[in-house]
Amino acid sequence: MAIVQLQDVSKAYDSKIAVDHLSFEIAQGSMFGLLGPNGSGKTSSIRMMIGMTMPDTGSVVLLGKPFDRKNVYRVGYLPEERGLYKKMKVIDQLIFLGELHGLDAVTASKRAHGWCERLEITEAIPKKTEELSKGMQQKIQFIAALLHEPELIIMDEPFSGLDPVNAVLLQNTLLDLNRQGRTVLFSTHRMDQVEKLCDTICLIHRGQKVLAGAMQEIKARYPKNRVQMVFEGDPAFLNHPVIESAKNYNGMAEIKLRDGGDAQLLLADAVSRVRITRFEVMEPTLEEIFIESVGDRVDA
Amino acid sequence: MRNVWLIAKREYLERVRTRAFLISTLMIPLLMIGGIMASVMGTTRTRSTAHITIVSRDQQLALDLQRELESSKTNPMLVDVISPGNSATRATLNSMLADKQIDGYLWITPAAHPDERPQFSYTPRSARNIAIQSAITTALRTVLARERPENDGNVASNAESLRVDTTQAGKNAESTSSYVAIYVLFFLMYMVILLYGMNVARSIIEEKTSRVFEILLATIRPEEMMAGKVIGVGSVGLTQVAVWLLTAILLTSGSWLQAIAGQSAQISLSAAQIVYFVVFFLLGYLLYSSVAAALGAMVNSEQELQQLNMFLVMPLAGCMFALGPVISNPGGTISRVISFIPFCTPLIMYLRISLARPPLWEIALSILLMIVTIYGILWCASRIYRVGILMYGKRPNLSEIMRWLKYS
Repeated sequence: MAIVQLQDVSKAYDSKIAVDHLSFEIAQGSMFGLLGPNGSGKTSSIRMMIGMTMPDTGSVVLLGKPFDRKNVYRVGYLPEERGLYKKMKVIDQLIFLGELHGLDAVTASKRAHGWCERLEITEAIPKKTEELSKGMQQKIQFIAALLHEPELIIMDEPFSGLDPVNAVLLQNTLLDLNRQGRTVLFSTHRMDQVEKLCDTICLIHRGQKVLAGAMQEIKARYPKNRVQMVFEGDPAFLNHPVIESAKNYNGMAEIKLRDGGDAQLLLADAVSRVRITRFEVMEPTLEEIFIESVGDRVDA
Repeated sequence: MRNVWLIAKREYLERVRTRAFLISTLMIPLLMIGGIMASVMGTTRTRSTAHITIVSRDQQLALDLQRELESSKTNPMLVDVISPGNSATRATLNSMLADKQIDGYLWITPAAHPDERPQFSYTPRSARNIAIQSAITTALRTVLARERPENDGNVASNAESLRVDTTQAGKNAESTSSYVAIYVLFFLMYMVILLYGMNVARSIIEEKTSRVFEILLATIRPEEMMAGKVIGVGSVGLTQVAVWLLTAILLTSGSWLQAIAGQSAQISLSAAQIVYFVVFFLLGYLLYSSVAAALGAMVNSEQELQQLNMFLVMPLAGCMFALGPVISNPGGTISRVISFIPFCTPLIMYLRISLARPPLWEIALSILLMIVTIYGILWCASRIYRVGILMYGKRPNLSEIMRWLKYS
């Protein structure tokens, strides 16, 4: 069953159309990616999902029911524009935000301590927010979104500004939560960052849906026509008939195959001519799929 | 309601805990104490100008008293003697009291019978000037003890029989006190609105610049946030004003202080007047804070707010022009109409109440109108806020604001 459903939703601000007849749904328990470049309407869609703004047309289903403000506190939201009270102590801040989400102060405090331990920032607890590094502030905000154990977790650009170690820490945390049955919605323009995390995606561009569905299904729709190989020897084999185009960077080649071209043939030929240390048929990346889809749209 | 309470609690606690709050809360009472100390020192030096008249048929007693009072080391005063007084004397003295030519007079009625004691009656200009009374009592005691040593046992009771007649004290105080109360209300509101109403606006701007609203608005409605801010930040102001007022009351009502500082303004208010004062002050404060909240919702920075803060105090200052007509005819049509304008109600309705009690329904209606207006302003402010934050960057013009009110 869909935990979130947008049906033919539109939203215009003054002259700009932010979301244009957009429909998609998020299945309960999924890791959902709402993807698109800057200004494609991701944040506007999320704001309508949680009632910060109302759609001009269309309807929203939240937590399996037609949108009702009373349910919004069951959502955990990490906004793209991070904001915490600068002068407020971290623990007070977390308790305050927990209380706003329906917790009592004692529970909120207990959970805040637990989460700080889990994310390795216990030393931040008694400090004021303004004394913390940006990454730490982000973790605090992350905790604030999860404190009340929401059924639906919405993360708008969750990994921006985090170092790789911390990004992995947060990723693993979200995967854990997903395993416990929580639904996670990622919204990001960094498609590479969530490629491995999401099982379902919706790609949007200029407020419109480009493509949506299960990640594997979408990827399967696109041919695996790219090969990356590392070799030692004469690059003359790159003139093989299955190759449409190839770039050679001193023994590291990026190859695009012709439609229907078999990588197997290329490999057999190459083995006989050069020494191969790596040969990989690449899956299309989301970014490539996106560019290709949007390109199609422009052509049409 | 819970959310409003949570927002208000946070605002209140965060502000009250700051060092700036502590300092400003303590500084004003310290300044008050300092100011009063200075004025007390000033007045003790001018105490010699205390001027009383003694009326007595017993000229010797009067002259002895005069010498005693004028030569007093601690509290010398100027003493006239009228001996003997006649029936016109009292009227003359009363008018001199009213003209502040003298501070009081001591009327000595001689004993009708040698065994009885003379009666001493002191009529002060201000009932609170205990210093003169105690000086007279002391002088009486000394003089009587010296003149009639054989009466030693009776001296104390003689002196204690100094009767203080306060009928002349505080004449006309009743009518002036309502004007005083109005001005106090005006300045209190003006000051508090300027100091704290602006804090409401600033707090809302802070919410925008810190971008915390993104999480807040994901759970609560902007109306709740506005109301919470007005109540929370407002309570901080009220706390501070309460501390200041309490200090002021404690300082000025202590009789020890009156004893040295002498005459203070006579303010006599009925209990109903005090209740209305509090009610109209709180409602006025809430109303103007809501306007501040709306201003805060419209702008994106404190600089922009500076340009708009005249809108906050202008209506209040405008009320001052209405004071004249209302005082001259409190029940007239103009007064009644003005007192129903919510922005003027706190001052004008209060003035009408203290001058000539208007019908109860008029008071109730004016209060109701204020409450409705407060709600309406907060509603509009939250609309402006919700739409405004989603398109930050420029200050909206009037037509845009009108359009925003229609957005949901």
